[in-house]
Amino acid sequence: MHNGILLTAAGWIRDILTFLFGNELLVNILMTLVGIGAIISVILTSAIVFTYAERKVCAFMQVRIGPNRVGGRFGLLQPVADMLKLMSKEDIIPNGCDRVVWSLSPMLLFVPSALIYSFFPFDDGAILADVNVGLFLLLAISSQAVLPFLMGGYASNSKYAMIGGMRTVAQMLSYEAPMAFSLIGVVMLTGSMKMSAIVEAQATHTWFVLLQPIAFVIYLITATAETNRTPFDLVEDESEIVAGPFTEYSGMRWALFFLAEYANLLSISILTTTLFLGGWHGPVLPGAVWFWLKVLVMIFVFMWFRWTFPRTRIDQMLSFSWKVLLPLALVNMLLTGVGIYLYQSLC
Amino acid sequence: MNFLAIGTEIAIALLMLIVLAADLLLPKDVSHRRIGVISMVGLAVILVYTFGQYHIGASPTFFGGLFFVDNYALFFKQLFIIGMLFTILFSLEYTEKLLRYRGEFYVLLLSALLGMCVMASANDFITTFVGLELMTVSFYILVGARMTSEDSSEAAVKYLIVGAASTAVMLYGMSLVYGAAGSLVFSEVCRNIHLFYAAGLAGVIMVIIGFFFKLSVIPFHMWAPDVYQGAPTPVTALLAMGSKAAGIAVFMRILYTAFPILGNFWLPLLAGFAALCMIGGNIMAIRQTDIKRMLAYSSIAQAGYMMVGMAAADLAGMKAVLFYAMLYVFANLGAFAVLTVIDTERGGTSRRDITGLAQAAPLLAAVMTISLLSMAGIPPTAGFAGKLYLFTAVVERGYLWLAFVGFVMSMISVYYYLMVAKAMYRDLTPEEAEYAAPVYVPLTVRAAVLVSVFATLGLGICPEWLASLTNAAVQTFMR
Amino acid sequence: MNDLILSLHRLIDMGMTMAEELGTPEIILAAVFYVFAGISVLGALGVVLGRNIVHSALCLTASFIGIGCLYIFLSADFLGAVQFLVYGGAVAILIVMAIMLTRREDMAHSNPSRSIPHQLAALVVAGMFLLAMAAVALMSPFQTAPADIGDTVTGIADLMLTKYVLPFEIVAVLLLIAMIGAIILAKGVDES
Repeated sequence: MHNGILLTAAGWIRDILTFLFGNELLVNILMTLVGIGAIISVILTSAIVFTYAERKVCAFMQVRIGPNRVGGRFGLLQPVADMLKLMSKEDIIPNGCDRVVWSLSPMLLFVPSALIYSFFPFDDGAILADVNVGLFLLLAISSQAVLPFLMGGYASNSKYAMIGGMRTVAQMLSYEAPMAFSLIGVVMLTGSMKMSAIVEAQATHTWFVLLQPIAFVIYLITATAETNRTPFDLVEDESEIVAGPFTEYSGMRWALFFLAEYANLLSISILTTTLFLGGWHGPVLPGAVWFWLKVLVMIFVFMWFRWTFPRTRIDQMLSFSWKVLLPLALVNMLLTGVGIYLYQSLC
Repeated sequence: MNFLAIGTEIAIALLMLIVLAADLLLPKDVSHRRIGVISMVGLAVILVYTFGQYHIGASPTFFGGLFFVDNYALFFKQLFIIGMLFTILFSLEYTEKLLRYRGEFYVLLLSALLGMCVMASANDFITTFVGLELMTVSFYILVGARMTSEDSSEAAVKYLIVGAASTAVMLYGMSLVYGAAGSLVFSEVCRNIHLFYAAGLAGVIMVIIGFFFKLSVIPFHMWAPDVYQGAPTPVTALLAMGSKAAGIAVFMRILYTAFPILGNFWLPLLAGFAALCMIGGNIMAIRQTDIKRMLAYSSIAQAGYMMVGMAAADLAGMKAVLFYAMLYVFANLGAFAVLTVIDTERGGTSRRDITGLAQAAPLLAAVMTISLLSMAGIPPTAGFAGKLYLFTAVVERGYLWLAFVGFVMSMISVYYYLMVAKAMYRDLTPEEAEYAAPVYVPLTVRAAVLVSVFATLGLGICPEWLASLTNAAVQTFMR
Repeated sequence: MNDLILSLHRLIDMGMTMAEELGTPEIILAAVFYVFAGISVLGALGVVLGRNIVHSALCLTASFIGIGCLYIFLSADFLGAVQFLVYGGAVAILIVMAIMLTRREDMAHSNPSRSIPHQLAALVVAGMFLLAMAAVALMSPFQTAPADIGDTVTGIADLMLTKYVLPFEIVAVLLLIAMIGAIILAKGVDES
């Protein structure tokens, strides 16, 4: 029933493994590992691509050229140079820090960011864990990413880091609520929290961006805030608190924060695509291609936000969440309910 | 769905929302008494409405019998509404002068009332728990409502911590009962023989301990004195009569309908703790100089008296408990109305603050004395009739010693109640002349105390009226 | 080449059958259980025994997450997600934040009541309770649910909106009241 190209590729790998090892159980276990490996490699590759893309997009917006020395005229090897630089940096441990918590923070931050990839349908049937509470579990797991920021901020023994940690919590907690409420509209239309069912519902009806425009806008705003990107990057606000929770980190530890940030950017783009833009569905081209096209468009949109909007103030953005977005999301829920009722009674 | 069955609760919730909205619309610097008046009028209407719900036939239920509106529940709801109504009446002045958030105070009072009413009707553990939480969460905030007083904040924190711990114990007990009996509905729990296994017994014990915490039964009483003393005086009044009566209402229902087959286990336990409460509460009350703190210990003893009736475990005992709970409300109303005025005017409730009250406000001194005598059980007050019912009920079931303990302890309690009367009525020394200055007694307080005194004396002289109501209440208990 | 692969198949099949016979699947399941249970219990112990109160709060989070994993392991996936979202995602963070906002000079010895008598008393009480509950658990026959309990979300939704609709609605009032209370307590006195 499923026939995406990713699934076909997975079928080939399974055939090869079956040919090599025979036993079905073992092959199943190995296939799970293959899936995990694929997801990790997607995240790592995306970080490399995004550092380059971010620099280029930024340069384009600011009428500059951007990276143009390493690796030819377009600076294609710039990410490699960045990576080498980070790896060769000294690992500085600040004085008076809480060692255990301090070193746990970057690792723990990466875990939820990577975990939620198991709920994304990359293509027809290409989803690692298609559980029936998929969307809810996804939100629940991504909410775990708040504490590591706070841990890093506290353990660094630095006031900038501390303030940054506090800001992260305030920001992420207040934007989680409108985000969840805006997504309820999507769940109501689908009647399921299963990710594959949400994609299917958009194939049979239409993209939810058309049915849920308010939810889409709220989601875009809250997603920007959840990933701490401008205009909501109060967490690592250079002009006020140096780099927030990351102030005292350097080298590979800092790189982990960086990685988690890009993993988050990719995951919100994927989530937007899946929930509002019809997921992998599209004419002519294979599903996976459509999927990545939409995701790249969304990533461009988020980068566009970043380099065109000025930064807000922390009190402005918190009151915006509680006083505007949350009521709006609740109204959207009500409207969706009325809409569904009318639709059902008319048709 | 029978929405009439939850009519009282819907009405209270609506009233709460109306009060909340009214508070929002009312400018800040305007007197908030009118909000209190709105709540009182609403409560009065609801009280009248509940009288119409008394019935003879089958009791109305809501959603498959999880919410049971028998006469027993109705009686307790009326008790809560009366208590709340008169508390608001005598605390209008107090709220206006001493509290920072006046409108929210009324909202929280009404939500606590809603929680109590839900508890009275609950017929399964989840509804019980949710009602209990609604009541206690409201009380956590109410206890800390006097923002400027450190005592109030300390009391709120203590109440919150002990309350949360006791809730955890009770909830764990409920989960064990559910695990053993496979149901949360009282009548189904009682039918399951698995309750006799260790898990069921452990669950039952924990549920009972949880309720002992809420009823501040010795040795689970350590929170009560501090909380009673620190809380705003009207809130203390509600803790003593409302919260305790609600606990008793649901505790009795659980014991009689969910765990009756384990009666041989919990009856002696109940009798023992009742005796402990009466002895400990009364003896510790003797040494207190703060009236609110003294009433806290006295309320521990009163809980003991009511548990005597519960230990009888028959209709007569139940009737006696209902009767006693109601008259305790009236006695408390009188005493706390006086204390509220004193707290507002003289800024404290210690024995020194009531010195010379007989000259400063003769009415209040008289009301205080009558109320305290009713708590002690001196004829012709209602307390005498109440204790008579309680002790006869328990003697008929063979607990002679328990009645004896109760009798002796009532005599001891007269001592400390009269110490208060002495402080109010003794002649003032020349240095204390300032205490003779008249105390301003608002009209609303006069109305409240007069009602409480008439009820206390009236029920003492002819208890039949209330007794017939309690008869009606127990007649439909779980039929 | 083919022979090599065939013999490899045979070897692997033999290994898997042996593992099956030794009860490996059950052992793995048990191991998963014990890992998560261990996280919860060790986390809870860390809360009590930690000298630094921030570490206590972080251990509490670990304990919450361990319990959430246990729920999912028991195929109560919805409950597990709620546990993550509410306890791991909100409650724990509020606790940590409250602790950090009321920060003292030295966090290293911020956890109170560590005198020997206190610890002994706690040990005795905890030990007694543990023994009692272990006895209870061993002595009573619990009815077990069927292995596949199906779609838990639908089941919970059905119960909440039919049988237990009244408690559900009362909880809404409870939340409203908690919100009002939190606001007035947080605003305090000094706002004029």
